[in-house]
Amino acid sequence: MKILVCVKRVPAPGARINVTEDGFEVDSTHLGFTTSPHEECAVEEAVQIAEVHDGEVTVITLGPEAAEEQLRYAASVGVNNLVLLPIDEVDWDPQRTADALTKAITEIEISEGAFDLILFGNESADSGGFQVGIRVSHQLGRPIVNGIKNIEISDSEVEAHREIDGGFEVYKLPLPAALGVKEGINLPRYPTMKGRLASKKVELKTLEFSAENGGQKRSKLHRPQEQVSETVILGTGPEAAPAIVDLLEELGVLQ
Amino acid sequence: MGFSKIWVHGEASDGVVASITLELLAKARELAETVEVVVAGDADSIAAELGDHGASAVYSIGSLDNGLAGPRIASAIAEACSQGSGPDVLLCGTTYDGRDVAGRLSVKLDTPVITNVIDLKQDGERLLGHEPVFGGTKDVFTGTTAEGLDIFVVRPKSFVAESTGGDPASVSVLQVGDLGSTGTAVVKDQFVEESSGPRLDEANIVVSGGRGLGEADKYEMIEKLASLIKGAPGASRAIVDAGWVPYSYQVGQTGKVVKPTVYLACGISGATQHLVGMKGSANIIAINKDEEAPIFGIADLGIVGDVHKVLPKLIEALEAQ
Repeated sequence: MKILVCVKRVPAPGARINVTEDGFEVDSTHLGFTTSPHEECAVEEAVQIAEVHDGEVTVITLGPEAAEEQLRYAASVGVNNLVLLPIDEVDWDPQRTADALTKAITEIEISEGAFDLILFGNESADSGGFQVGIRVSHQLGRPIVNGIKNIEISDSEVEAHREIDGGFEVYKLPLPAALGVKEGINLPRYPTMKGRLASKKVELKTLEFSAENGGQKRSKLHRPQEQVSETVILGTGPEAAPAIVDLLEELGVLQ
Repeated sequence: MGFSKIWVHGEASDGVVASITLELLAKARELAETVEVVVAGDADSIAAELGDHGASAVYSIGSLDNGLAGPRIASAIAEACSQGSGPDVLLCGTTYDGRDVAGRLSVKLDTPVITNVIDLKQDGERLLGHEPVFGGTKDVFTGTTAEGLDIFVVRPKSFVAESTGGDPASVSVLQVGDLGSTGTAVVKDQFVEESSGPRLDEANIVVSGGRGLGEADKYEMIEKLASLIKGAPGASRAIVDAGWVPYSYQVGQTGKVVKPTVYLACGISGATQHLVGMKGSANIIAINKDEEAPIFGIADLGIVGDVHKVLPKLIEALEAQ
């Protein structure tokens, strides 16, 4: 069982983001970076599947050289192979990213055999376009289902639960297939000291490639006007509770 | 080239059109002369509702037979475009199927797709999508320089659905091309819990709980309160991830976007992720023991206090009504 996980290096969620002087890029000077959370869970899921099905896990990322940090982290929790597609910029648009990934995956599969399962994060934590997984799978000619919170592998197919309003749907996909995984599918393990040390020795394969810009034209980034309300404090502690009831009555929402 | 014809990716279940589709129709009508809809499944049962919201035609790709809508609708639209009968602009909703259609079509036609759009504006002959990035901390206006179809994926509640009193849309069939192995995923089963009370994204009042509740059992207070005032219970991402409540309760960037008359945030600190999903509420009331919590930066009214003490009092006061 060969599994590939595509991950993205993103600014730590919740960080305050500054913009470069020209207003076209994110200023990453003082930013901390991490693996996008859905993808951290995808890595964990792949490692768990590999443990049960005698598999091998490869993690690939397209990003700056510094994204080696995220790849090494994946190795420290049990990933076998690391692949970096280095780019000079901080980020590429989804079209270009997906094209590059598709080419790289095709190249790896020609020399090392096909991946049975490719996992993506449901969406990236920064741009959240929900695009790369769909595009890569479509280009590779494999089925994909997103929003996945449970995965069961059998011989030639995978069964996956997609989270929907108030419940879930069960999907069946013939292998090879791709899935977009959501945070909460598992609780990612912390790397052990032994894992950390071993991760430094895992070979990091760097693939050079080219891909054309997808044709998106971005106008300037600007900070939205912060919506600041003058909060009226109704009171402090439980004594203030009736004030909320009065307010709801005033608004006429109590039936 | 301009844009005289807009297609909306339509979604419906059991003969009821999804509100996202009606919202997209409202905006499409403002922008273009011809507004048409593409759907999977039965189009006859929804033609009247779509027409009433400004669509002149609805094209159906027929039954899905348990397959996914994305690959099929994308194939059908690509086919129409290659025959010259396609639209200038396609609007999809930020839903599983909407994103799927947009992504695949963009690959097929080699044209960009602009996602997470919350508004559309005309810029000369083109359309620009307004997208907030980094959890709403940055705004971007994006357009394309590419020839051909412009695809936008629009977030729910970006526009207000409005009936126009128009005639039922005409119904016709759109052919799906060969999908190869991209269309082989099938849905086997569906499990949905019966829920009572109003839907979270349609409720007039939303009562949400967060990490400040301390433990999963305390969420009962939120449900009790919500049922007393006929609101819908909601949650922050933190307690959904912790497994206290199902994902369907989540309000925020990766959950539901809500715009109720009253939003009551209980024990929610106000992470940007959450604020993105509720800041459009008409009246935001926050209960939090930390007066420095970011939620007070957006709330109209607040009580500084421990939810464990304030909520029982509030429930008591409402029961006494």
